[in-house]
Amino acid sequence: MSLGISLQWQLPSVFRSTRASTAESRTPDVSLSLSTAPFGRALRCSTIPNSSILTGNRATRISSIRCLSALDPNLKSTLDKVVTSQKIVLFMKGTKEFPQCGFSNTVVQILKSLNAPFETINILENEALRQGLKEYSSWPTFPQLYIDGEFFGGCDITVEAYKSGELQELLERTLCS
Amino acid sequence: MGVTKEQVESSLTSKLNPSHLEVIDMSGGCGAKFSIVIVAEQFEGKRLLERHRMVNGALAEEMKEIHALSITKALTPEQWKQQQESEKSQAAA
Repeated sequence: MSLGISLQWQLPSVFRSTRASTAESRTPDVSLSLSTAPFGRALRCSTIPNSSILTGNRATRISSIRCLSALDPNLKSTLDKVVTSQKIVLFMKGTKEFPQCGFSNTVVQILKSLNAPFETINILENEALRQGLKEYSSWPTFPQLYIDGEFFGGCDITVEAYKSGELQELLERTLCS
Repeated sequence: MGVTKEQVESSLTSKLNPSHLEVIDMSGGCGAKFSIVIVAEQFEGKRLLERHRMVNGALAEEMKEIHALSITKALTPEQWKQQQESEKSQAAA
């Protein structure tokens, strides 16, 4: 089961910017396409609040409401969909095939060893996503593992849960439901 | 630049009041990568995720400069005691 999630960013200046603060102060346009997701159409989140395309979505996930700079409402709403698009979603440095960080690689290897189908999203390709996710998950580092739409933890927690068998149990329950 | 082991220790000590704390700089003094073992009363009744969030929260300022933080253990004094004892008995066996 493979699900194509691609995040395309329309602000190349974010990447050209040499100062992180410049990138964070902008509100990027987010264009997300979930090819085989329940929302089988491209979602385009403009910077206009309450974009009509987004109304009527079935995302009912309630996250704590906070007012933060790097996480604008459109990015938040997009992330709500991404984390529920697949039972297991891993935000990581690099890709499943080529992890670019030891911690990310550890989590990939654990999930692979459990034969769990999972989707990965490379946060190195997108600075705004990277910053926004830190606030979305209230977690300062990557990788970030989502199971069944819930933030599960980073590398240490995943390793710990794998050792104790808790991860296997949770995945079994999640994937069977 | 970078964060010192002492800074990490003092932030954790003042915010979480640990009964046992080990901070290891794994970046050879660069202050970019730390490994932590922390035992605190405040972890009682909290899941591992919450415990890690507390540690991350206590180090919010330092995290801006730390590249990687590995929380190897976040235990309650009770759990720590049990672990120490089981390690001892394993070593003796």
